Amino acid sequence: MAKKPKVYALSTCPYCKRTRRFLDAHRVDYECIEVDQLDDAKQDQALEEIKKLTGKQSFPVVVIGDDIIVGHDEDKLRRALKI
Amino acid sequence: MSAEQPERVFCPVCLAKFKFANGWKEGDTVICPICGQKLRLRRGPEGWVGDRPEKGSEKEIRERAEEYARLRGYVFNEIKEELIQGLIAKNRRFGDFYCPCRMEHNPEYQCPCKPTRGGDVEKNGRCYCGFFWKKA
Repeated sequence: MAKKPKVYALSTCPYCKRTRRFLDAHRVDYECIEVDQLDDAKQDQALEEIKKLTGKQSFPVVVIGDDIIVGHDEDKLRRALKI
Repeated sequence: MSAEQPERVFCPVCLAKFKFANGWKEGDTVICPICGQKLRLRRGPEGWVGDRPEKGSEKEIRERAEEYARLRGYVFNEIKEELIQGLIAKNRRFGDFYCPCRMEHNPEYQCPCKPTRGGDVEKNGRCYCGFFWKKA
């Protein structure tokens, strides 16, 4: 079975909220990590993962299989989710 | 006697100093020309400082954003309200109005953030989080 999509988000970022709303509206089962809500050690780990995936520190980051989508982009989400 | 230097006012939001204008006096309310913050003038031991009369309130960040946009001729778009809510959440969690789209919460990213004050909107047409936009 394919891995669950993963969203790295900030709890204060409206673009992250839009991405989550989009995934919710399409009933996508995903894991969401609110990076700013994590304790220090977990936050460092999440930021390291984001850096490895994207080379920068920008939100939201959505990982769907091999696709990595930075920023709220519904077209890219649709393509990656094949919806 | 050396020539008198023009007095300056320290802004606690953008951490910069701006020129003290003729006619201003202690207790006056002025707008920081760099970041748009409303300040009440006070003579401190180190010189003029601006106090934030509505520090941490929703009114403060709304007024600052409006003033900054007015000063620079920038406009907002439909995501403005969501970003204001993000700024309010940042203030609640981290003690000031830091950019809602960044991890960092330090003075450099107090809204309008340093890159914005440094000309990002002119260069990119918008600030990092899309709060301030260059007029089309």
